[in-house]
Amino acid sequence: MNHLVLPVVLPLLAAFLMQPLARVSRLAARVLGPVVLALCALIILRLWLNYGGAPFVVAIGGFAPPLGIVLYADHLALIFALAVPLFTLLFWPGLGDRSSDPGHGARRDALVLLLAAAGTGLALSGDLFNIYVFYELAAVASFGLASLSGTSRALVATLRYLLLSAFGSVLSLVGIAILYMETGTLNLADLARVAPHTLEGPLGLAAFALMVIGFGVKAELFPLNAWVPEVYATAPARVSALLAGLVSKLAALVVLRLLVLVFHQPEASQLLLALGVLTVLTGELAAWRARDFPRMIAFSSIGQLGIVFIAFSIDGDIGLLAGIAVALHHLVAKSALFGLSVRWNGSLEALAGAARTAPLAAGLYVLLALSLIGVPPLPGFWAKILVLVGLVQGGSALELLALIAILLVTAIEASYLFRVAVRLYQRGKSPPPGHAPWDLGVAMALGAVLLAATLGISPVADSLRSVARQAGDAGLYVDTVFPKTVARKD
Amino acid sequence: MNVLHAVIDLETLVYVGAIGLVAIGGLGLVLSNHLFRMLLALGMAESGANLLLILTGYRGDATAPIIGYGPVGAPMVDPLPQVLVLTAIVIGVGVQAMAVSMLVRVYRAYGTLDIRELRKRMELEVSAAAGIPVPTSEEAPAGERPLPPVPAYRRGHRHVGPGES
Repeated sequence: MNHLVLPVVLPLLAAFLMQPLARVSRLAARVLGPVVLALCALIILRLWLNYGGAPFVVAIGGFAPPLGIVLYADHLALIFALAVPLFTLLFWPGLGDRSSDPGHGARRDALVLLLAAAGTGLALSGDLFNIYVFYELAAVASFGLASLSGTSRALVATLRYLLLSAFGSVLSLVGIAILYMETGTLNLADLARVAPHTLEGPLGLAAFALMVIGFGVKAELFPLNAWVPEVYATAPARVSALLAGLVSKLAALVVLRLLVLVFHQPEASQLLLALGVLTVLTGELAAWRARDFPRMIAFSSIGQLGIVFIAFSIDGDIGLLAGIAVALHHLVAKSALFGLSVRWNGSLEALAGAARTAPLAAGLYVLLALSLIGVPPLPGFWAKILVLVGLVQGGSALELLALIAILLVTAIEASYLFRVAVRLYQRGKSPPPGHAPWDLGVAMALGAVLLAATLGISPVADSLRSVARQAGDAGLYVDTVFPKTVARKD
Repeated sequence: MNVLHAVIDLETLVYVGAIGLVAIGGLGLVLSNHLFRMLLALGMAESGANLLLILTGYRGDATAPIIGYGPVGAPMVDPLPQVLVLTAIVIGVGVQAMAVSMLVRVYRAYGTLDIRELRKRMELEVSAAAGIPVPTSEEAPAGERPLPPVPAYRRGHRHVGPGES
């Protein structure tokens, strides 16, 4: 079980070894990153296979919680801890790099490894301040990756991203300070124990609002998501895929843990619901107006994350199930779309006729678009219908408003995604070149995952339901981190 | 002096100061258009947050959390926030150093740090790179002055120009 630390530690170690290693052997430095990530994925996979279904905890350095930091692994955490090295490998930014400067490659690989380490840490950590530190680490790594192309426009975009993200971190730090002031602990399980009698008031709500807005920067949540289109339009496509697909979901996971464990008051859910509706509406309307492919899918990813947060705000297991389903679906589908945008990085007009040069990619695009819109029987449909059912069951005025908003943006999504699909199959003068085999292969594999999930929708739904039930059980979390309290109670 | 102490004690004053610093920083980020000033505002907000974090462990009648420093059994200040704030300060300094280095490169490339103008140029460049023809004619609101061409002096050979305000 102690192996759980390795997927966080190994990429960190490799990241800092990268520079000295690059001076000794360029080849070793080039393969170090992928090898380490593959190893991490294997370690998580083995833990998962041996995992009996009960969550477990690793106390770092043997220091017992609540003072020591714990890593907490349940189904959901393991899914994301596996997704981090896997997707980082699939969208390895250094692939196909023929740059003559060895230092550049080593710096880039080190940043990617830092991002992977921080991402795994975010998925597993059970301590709020530890989460903050990993969040900052992921932020700094993503600043470096976003400005990787070195163009001046990428620098401007990254600088704005940095200012927004750093201000978001300040807000979450203030939220953390308020939490500590009110409870005297930052361990999530300990917080879950004391939250009901210490965080009910307006001060607790303020802490939640600050932390949601702060962590919402990476999760592309409404007030602080202005960086999204600029960064995704200027960063390398594979980096965009990682940030939009993976890092945003990890931030959403942090918000989910906070909501389940610490903040139970209905006002917190309502706040999240309102922010989610605003996120959906702004994101999808902007996507409709976008005129180039990368920015269109970037805005659309804002919209999808808005749906995730709307789902999280629904009371009960169905909300969690719907949110996790939408998040995982978006992780697969949007990553594949960003994989396609490696070549389709121009305006939407320039895509005309692309079905001739890249028939497979065009077909795949149609499949992904259908699933994102939510056409039955694709997985996107089931994810979206769960959110709608949850909203109807909730039944409050704000939830019905959210329902209308989701239906509305589905129409908008269909409009702009099909506009591109039509253009792909039109006759074009100079269609873009076909994709590199690896990019197309990755996108095809992700599309195949979607299709497989369509065929086996009922086992997938069953396992997701148990994942959601486990993630939503605050008592289980507390009992796993503090087993002695249970014994004392008996 | 004693009257002042009765009305507001020092702790409340520092609390207000910490929250105020965060608010000033936030306002500065929103209201300012100059990137360097925005960075300074960010620094202010960060110090406010750090101050608040330190305050969470503060007790007026307590000693420093060192064993043997004060009388035995005397209450101590909570040491945990002090450890946390150290981490937060280091992270903040690192991020600001990175921001300043990027600021220098942006200034060298564009000759200005005005965020509005930088955003316009960036939008133009992104559109040009994506091959979208003349985006401003449709996207800009009616009546706005068209974007002036990049002046020659900002192109590189003079780094200190009217763009710095």
